[in-house]
Amino acid sequence: MSLDLTLDGQVVPFQEGETLYEVASRHGDKIPTLCYDKRLDPLGACRLCVVEVEGANGPLASCTTPARAGMAVRTVTEDLERHRKTLVDLVLSENPKGAEIDPLRGLASQELAQLSVRYGSDGTRFAGATSGHSRFDDPNPMILRDYDNCISCYRCVRVCAEQEGDYAISITGRGFGTQISAEFDVDLEDSDCTFCGQCIQTCPTGALGDLRALQHADLPEPITATRSICPYCGVGCSLDLLTKGETLVGVQPAMDGPANEGALCIKGQFAWEWVQHPDRLTEPLVRKDGELVPATWEEALDRAAAGFAQAGAEHGRRSVYAVASGRAPHESAYSVQKFIRVNFGTNQIDNCSRA
Amino acid sequence: MPASPTDEQLIKRWQDEPAPVLPLLHAFNERDGHISREGLEAISAGLRIPLANLHGSVTFYHHISGEPESRDRPRVCMGPICRLNGSEQLLHDLEGAEPMACAGRCDDPIPVLQADRALVGLSGDKLQQAPSPLPPLNPGGLEECCLASVREPDRATCSGYMRTGGYAALAKAREMEPEEILQVLEDSGLAGRGGAGFPTATKWRAVRDAQGGPKTLVCNADEGEPGCFKDRVLLDHDPHAILEGMAIAGLATGAARGFIYLRYEYPQTLAILERALEEAKEHLDGFEFCVRRGAGAYICGEETSLLNSLEGEHPFPRNRPPFPVTHGFEQTPTVVNNVETLASVAPILARGAEWYAGLGLGEHRGTKLISLSGDVLRPGNYEVPMGFPLKTLLFDWAGVPEGRKVQAVTMAGLSGGFLGAADLDVTLDEACLRAKGSFLGAGGIMVFDDRRDMFEIARQSMEFFASEACGKCFPCRIGTERLTERLSEPSGALAPEAWTEEVRAIGYTMIELSACGLGKSAPLITESLLRLFPEEVSAKLEAR
Amino acid sequence: MSNPLADMDKPDVIFCIGTNMTETHPVAATRLKQAQAKGAILIVADPRHIPLARRADIHLPLRVGSDVALLGAMAHVIAERGLMDESFIAERTEGWDSVREHLKSFTPEWAEGITGVPAALIEQAAVLYAQADRGAIYYTLGITEHISGVDNVQSLSNLALMTGNLGREGTGINPMRGQNNIQGAGDCGALPGNYPGFQPVTDPAMQAKFEEAWGTKVDLEPGMTKVRALEHAGEKIFAMLICGENTLISDPDYDHCERALGRLDHLVVVDIFKTETAELADVVLPASAWAETDGVFTNTERRPQRVRAAVPAQGQARPDWWILAEISKRLGSDQFEYNSAAEVFNELCSLSPLYAGLDWDRIDAGRYQWPVPEADHPGTPMLHVGEFPRGKGLFKTPAYRDPAEVVNEDYPVWLTTGRRLEHYHTRTMSGRSTGTEYLLNEETLEVHPADVQAWGLEHGGMARMSSPRGSVLVRVASDDTSPPGTVFCSFSFSEVPINKLTGSGYDPITDTAELKVCPVRVEPVSG
Repeated sequence: MSLDLTLDGQVVPFQEGETLYEVASRHGDKIPTLCYDKRLDPLGACRLCVVEVEGANGPLASCTTPARAGMAVRTVTEDLERHRKTLVDLVLSENPKGAEIDPLRGLASQELAQLSVRYGSDGTRFAGATSGHSRFDDPNPMILRDYDNCISCYRCVRVCAEQEGDYAISITGRGFGTQISAEFDVDLEDSDCTFCGQCIQTCPTGALGDLRALQHADLPEPITATRSICPYCGVGCSLDLLTKGETLVGVQPAMDGPANEGALCIKGQFAWEWVQHPDRLTEPLVRKDGELVPATWEEALDRAAAGFAQAGAEHGRRSVYAVASGRAPHESAYSVQKFIRVNFGTNQIDNCSRA
Repeated sequence: MPASPTDEQLIKRWQDEPAPVLPLLHAFNERDGHISREGLEAISAGLRIPLANLHGSVTFYHHISGEPESRDRPRVCMGPICRLNGSEQLLHDLEGAEPMACAGRCDDPIPVLQADRALVGLSGDKLQQAPSPLPPLNPGGLEECCLASVREPDRATCSGYMRTGGYAALAKAREMEPEEILQVLEDSGLAGRGGAGFPTATKWRAVRDAQGGPKTLVCNADEGEPGCFKDRVLLDHDPHAILEGMAIAGLATGAARGFIYLRYEYPQTLAILERALEEAKEHLDGFEFCVRRGAGAYICGEETSLLNSLEGEHPFPRNRPPFPVTHGFEQTPTVVNNVETLASVAPILARGAEWYAGLGLGEHRGTKLISLSGDVLRPGNYEVPMGFPLKTLLFDWAGVPEGRKVQAVTMAGLSGGFLGAADLDVTLDEACLRAKGSFLGAGGIMVFDDRRDMFEIARQSMEFFASEACGKCFPCRIGTERLTERLSEPSGALAPEAWTEEVRAIGYTMIELSACGLGKSAPLITESLLRLFPEEVSAKLEAR
Repeated sequence: MSNPLADMDKPDVIFCIGTNMTETHPVAATRLKQAQAKGAILIVADPRHIPLARRADIHLPLRVGSDVALLGAMAHVIAERGLMDESFIAERTEGWDSVREHLKSFTPEWAEGITGVPAALIEQAAVLYAQADRGAIYYTLGITEHISGVDNVQSLSNLALMTGNLGREGTGINPMRGQNNIQGAGDCGALPGNYPGFQPVTDPAMQAKFEEAWGTKVDLEPGMTKVRALEHAGEKIFAMLICGENTLISDPDYDHCERALGRLDHLVVVDIFKTETAELADVVLPASAWAETDGVFTNTERRPQRVRAAVPAQGQARPDWWILAEISKRLGSDQFEYNSAAEVFNELCSLSPLYAGLDWDRIDAGRYQWPVPEADHPGTPMLHVGEFPRGKGLFKTPAYRDPAEVVNEDYPVWLTTGRRLEHYHTRTMSGRSTGTEYLLNEETLEVHPADVQAWGLEHGGMARMSSPRGSVLVRVASDDTSPPGTVFCSFSFSEVPINKLTGSGYDPITDTAELKVCPVRVEPVSG
């Protein structure tokens, strides 16, 4: 059965069980929101996504209102926009720094900044007390806890509970004094936190930030994102490599990654600095007089080939063996097995899966 | 002295009980004088609740805390009426005392809560334990419903209750089909007396018809609205009436289990209820009712916050739909009724729908309890017919002090904002009051005569809402704070016009967009202040 | 995996065995946690009280290496109580009668004696799994790194076959592959018995196919496994190329491994760091790394996905395929004329029936799970729907065997090895990243508090742990994750080369080392 409702004058179809926000997101302009993450149960906290529904007693939060056939919904009216401006002004009044946030802090970190532009908010209207107590003293080198920018949308708490199942952080206190903390305010490393970084990536204000990425905040080049796959376990999480010029500056999860749908773990999120680590091998080495010493590619390749040829000649072609990597890409493993089969005509090849 | 129970004993005592989190927190608090870190870790492990969540919830409530010896600290009521009676001085005088929101004893101030003792007195040396005052005899001689028998001696005991007709309605209901019970309720016109005014029969029917189970009853006894103390008088003096009402609700809906969620500030009521439950066992055959004590949070009077609190979840209000009638306690179909509503059920069943409906005036049906306090000669609980003139209650029944003029009264405790002197010509029913931009709500009315600084009363009121805002929705979390700041002395260098614009803009968005009643009604304070007392506001602002 | 990752929040009963998934595959584990939040029952069989076990509804703390007994007893209970899926057995399997007979002796009481798991708990777990609408099995190396690895897998297969928990959403037998491209290495034919696409080298038709494709001659006989190759180093094997593996640290029996590599005439290592293994090489060739290399990884659910270069390679580092091509050219081959990773991958697709419908461009968004037999094929997220590769599912009759070595007077403690959340394998990468290294920068031996006391150890103090093959010094961490009598250590830190101790035995069919069981002696070291 097809279900329809009227959205800003247009008749649009929807599926049973969808919310008005989900229906509206597929059609027309984006309804503003700060507490919404499509992976999480809608909370209805920020109230920015309110819409007018004919016959309803006042505006309704579209993220928590189920779509029903025949509804007449308006997503943009003068009144709604006035409310939204008041809300954004209120939010910025306690988080004035939220209008300018380094995008390296996290995937969603620009959401408030974008709304501040859209509604011309600079934090001066409704000026008053601020509520966040930053935890710059938390010594972990991964998650910045700049709660001066916290707007109490609880996306971090919700992603930690609903997506990760870790329940490492929760809501403490109440009202304006609400804070986000681990049990007894302990540092994250002493809590159930697994440093998956999901809280960082869903934070709409950069109150939680990626400290590994932020070490490169001062590099002048623009940020480029390159889609790739995590190099650690076999799950195959999609992620974006963030680069500035020739420097790898960070990793962000890919929300459309088929295997992970936006999730990462501590290794995928934070353990990438080895790529440009000074310990990397940067030149071929050959053993001379018992020592490994630098060599040209020509010399090293000649030496490598000669050794294999010699073994084949002295001990037979079955005396040459190769081990392919379960870490390197297909093109490596394929080349290694082909190297053995083509050059020596044997199947003296294995990979590292048996140990 | 018996050895204090071990962690394991306490957890074993509660872990297989329904809704074990609050009682366990209280048990540890009672044993240790605070909620210790080790205690919380034991509860977390015993009930398999994430420690961070449990810790977060503890920090939410006013009356439990991780601070050593916090349980025994005296808490002094800072409700508007108690302040008029000198509670700020009392707070100052009592060593180690801390302020507490209105503790529901405005008819006999000043309540001081210390551990399990509910004390009352106007100064430190006069504090003593005393039963809740009985309501004054109905000055108009009008027929009452839920207060009718409350003044009977021994009514709170089972034998006293039985002697005055108690449990006859339940016996009758046991002979009736659920639909017959529902029909009587429907015909009586009984509607939710906690403030929402939703027809009781409709709610019960929805639960009866809902899929899934087990079905659950909840008596909302988290009476937290400042200026409201009507549930307390019923619970203290007529507890069996509430149990009987719950049992009848159970018969009508098919719910066999029930909770009474009692506000923390009523410890003596807890004892009364527990005794009543013990005594009424034979009458309540087939039902499992128990009391769960709150821990100090106004928001838990909101039914979905209450359900979260009962479940041990963070007590934020839930989004609706789904509603509690289909997805309530632990997602089961749940009736949540106010104390007064439940107390009205047995009399209605005993005496008939027509009788109850006929108690109202004009087209209105039934009665309403009003908690009247402040600048009146005879404060207390009055049961008035729906549609009763406010002026009669105020001037003829309660009386105002000689030579004083009523400047304003609050409605719905604080939630309905102020009615000014010019607005007093109203009748006590939702239709009339809503036309004045207010509402009857739970029926608390605080009276302020011409001695009072209404700007200051408004400031106190907003401060209350700010300290009780849960923190879930943005307009209320930030709005109550900003409005409190603007009503307070150092509210910045705002010119009066800019001040008014900001207060109106914040209030408008709070009313329209807040997620629950707290945020929607708090700005009625500032709205009515601006409407009724523009000169006082200007004078205040100019004096800054 | 027989079923896709996206299925992991769909079972109503989850049976995890030999998988410390929250630490080794954290993102996959989130889906199990979500399933549990939605009401799924979690059964965890693991010797240790790992995080997943702490969340479990039922934890079966079996003695290391006793999986066949446990799983056989579960199957016994299901058979005795008649909880099988009779129609699935009738329509889709063969060998039921013999397995039924075989299972008769696997009573829960008998299994309790071997596994240490109470018989009642085994029964409870068996009944829950059998009665599930959608029961799914997940395992990792805790199943395979045993001398009975194949038997363990067959025991799991019996459970799934007899209850019909295969070929449907939210069911299956799901091994979680440990390395980002270990599935891909197999897909590519880096195996002694298989060409790309798991085509057997012993099949003359396959031999002909590849000889034609590559213009060369290839043996019809399988090669040696790596384990055997190392064993025969200096006897039959004289030259070795090791690509991207720190063999010395990650393989069992460090000393044996070091001697083996030392016996080679010629060792070439292709890697990104100068690993302990590279230190032994004659030639070390610097490879370009992840984030510097275009290529393909296939994940544990058989999904080929593209990795992309985002930064230039460090120094003179080059892609592996280029390095292998250059060596091959010097050996006289003209079969390695590649200009890009894409050309290599497309050649693989042309030769592997599993990838026949794929090419470099089609896997751009990672939408396909193999087999993808032709170009317009949607891929195969779920295996065994309606039919097994061999037709009917075959029941096997594995018997219980003790581990290669069992605890005795000299080595009275079970050591089991594994991984930790913060680090990956030998820490070549995670050890050079600030965050992971901050959280964990030293290996410790996990010892139950009661044992710490009984053995005269101290939390934070040093201990010497020895097996017949060697000994290591390691700091003691008192922790009730390991049960009394069993200790745990990871092999991530070269300072604690735990594989000096391991290497007691190998699965007779796969040559997989028994890294999960090693009797040891643990003694305090003063100072």
